[in-house]
Amino acid sequence: MSAPFAVTECVDCGYVAYPPRILCPVCASSRWKRRLTENGIVTELTVRRPVAKRRQLPSGNWLDQEETRLAAIQSDAGVRVIARIAPGVEIGDRVRLRQEASTAIALPGQVVSADLADGSADEAAPTIHAPLSDYPGRTP
Amino acid sequence: MAEPLTRARIIGAAETPYERHPSTERRTETFIAEAVVAALHDAGISRDEVDGFGVASFSLAPDHAIDLTWKLGMTIRWVMEDTNGGASGINMLQHAIRAIEAGDAETIVLAAGDRMERREFHLMTDRYNRVSRDYMAPLPLNGPNALFAFLTERYGRAHGLAREDFACVPIAQRTWATRNPGAVYRAPMTLDDYMASLPIAPPLTRYDCVPIVSGGDAIVVTTEERAAKLGRPSVGVRAIRSIFNDENQDGNGIETGFARIRDPLWEAAGVGPEDMDAAFIYDDYPVMVLVQLGDLGMIPAMDVKRYVHKTLLEDLYPVNTSGGQLSAGQAGAAGGLHGLVESVQQLRGEAGERQVQGAELVLTTGYGMVLYTHGSSHNAAILERVA
Ligand SMILES: [Zn+2]
Repeated sequence: MSAPFAVTECVDCGYVAYPPRILCPVCASSRWKRRLTENGIVTELTVRRPVAKRRQLPSGNWLDQEETRLAAIQSDAGVRVIARIAPGVEIGDRVRLRQEASTAIALPGQVVSADLADGSADEAAPTIHAPLSDYPGRTP
Repeated sequence: MAEPLTRARIIGAAETPYERHPSTERRTETFIAEAVVAALHDAGISRDEVDGFGVASFSLAPDHAIDLTWKLGMTIRWVMEDTNGGASGINMLQHAIRAIEAGDAETIVLAAGDRMERREFHLMTDRYNRVSRDYMAPLPLNGPNALFAFLTERYGRAHGLAREDFACVPIAQRTWATRNPGAVYRAPMTLDDYMASLPIAPPLTRYDCVPIVSGGDAIVVTTEERAAKLGRPSVGVRAIRSIFNDENQDGNGIETGFARIRDPLWEAAGVGPEDMDAAFIYDDYPVMVLVQLGDLGMIPAMDVKRYVHKTLLEDLYPVNTSGGQLSAGQAGAAGGLHGLVESVQQLRGEAGERQVQGAELVLTTGYGMVLYTHGSSHNAAILERVA
């Protein structure tokens, strides 16, 4: 289960924030819109050693017994994104970013994953005006 | 040499033994309390002379500074609680100095500590902040190692460093640790040991990651008048500079806020990097030792490769003489005071086998609080011996 990956963009000056902020660091606006971001470039990666015993934490998150391949990705939107990456992805690869709901958790934690890019174009990005009272304005 | 620019003095410092697997009755408050009592003893003053208390801890909840104040039987007129992790020690010191100068308090104890077993460590990193809980932990990230693997890779690429070069940092610190009976790792480390150590999040291996321990640290700060009456050396603070969230996590994490506080720090202190007899750099990972030394102007011509092999390893220029957190251990928030405690011991000439002869002026730093991709909180102090 995965969805297009989106960051937030300041309606007033175009600053791109991920994860979302409350006030824009550049112009102090609180008006943000959702901006889909399909692709990025892997700048660094690692394979994180698994923990000895799989267990659930009070937040609902799991400590995983599997190795996890993780990467820092310079997204086309300009922000750096930390994501789980598919096997075979290497430094310098162009990847397609996706957002996965984490099935193991009850809280709204979400997982960004990246697979090798297939060259598909960005989907049309809807504009969401999120006044301060409606914050946190998490991307769906 | 100019007079210290602040009128407060550090007159006591102590660290509890750092323990790998403490018994269940030794709680976070136990370690903090033991550090407070030991620091007061070291300062040669009684509990009832204390009128200010600051504490930093990841695991004190649901208690706060006031609960500890009560349990320690203190009546105080200044209190603070600091939540800035590796930057908490110097942050509390910055506040305490001004409180003492303003007369809001006369003698302040600053303490930090955590009972930190693997379970508590995972609880801490899982709920470090909302972004950690909602964006990082679900990956699952299992703590910050992967993020600092990225920074290590990035820094190595920028400065032409391989694992053999980064190795100089933990190996040199381990050499110092062999002279510190309080360090959890004291056996000398060879390059082969380092290269063969267990991968944690490549390029990081076990010896790039701090051993998790439980413990507490504390220092005592008071007026210069009062310090002068104690008849032993104390420690003056020439300057402290801090910066928080200087780039909204839009930077690369290897050119940091330390570069922005470098000039104001040295200018306020009236001395320069070449005047430092030792440095105590917040060492959550080897790469961050180099980032901070470089951004604060301590690495000549930014020839990092030469600096690690020649200055750190061959000349054994004193950086993190306790062995640092990489060898002595990281007791949660106590890591933010660990370098200050070691600084005070060195400047008073009480560092035993690892004493830096003639240590008069030192640099001490704090760094911490990953918001998303790297740390956000930076501070640095220039400390000096006052006879
Ligand atoms: Zn804006």
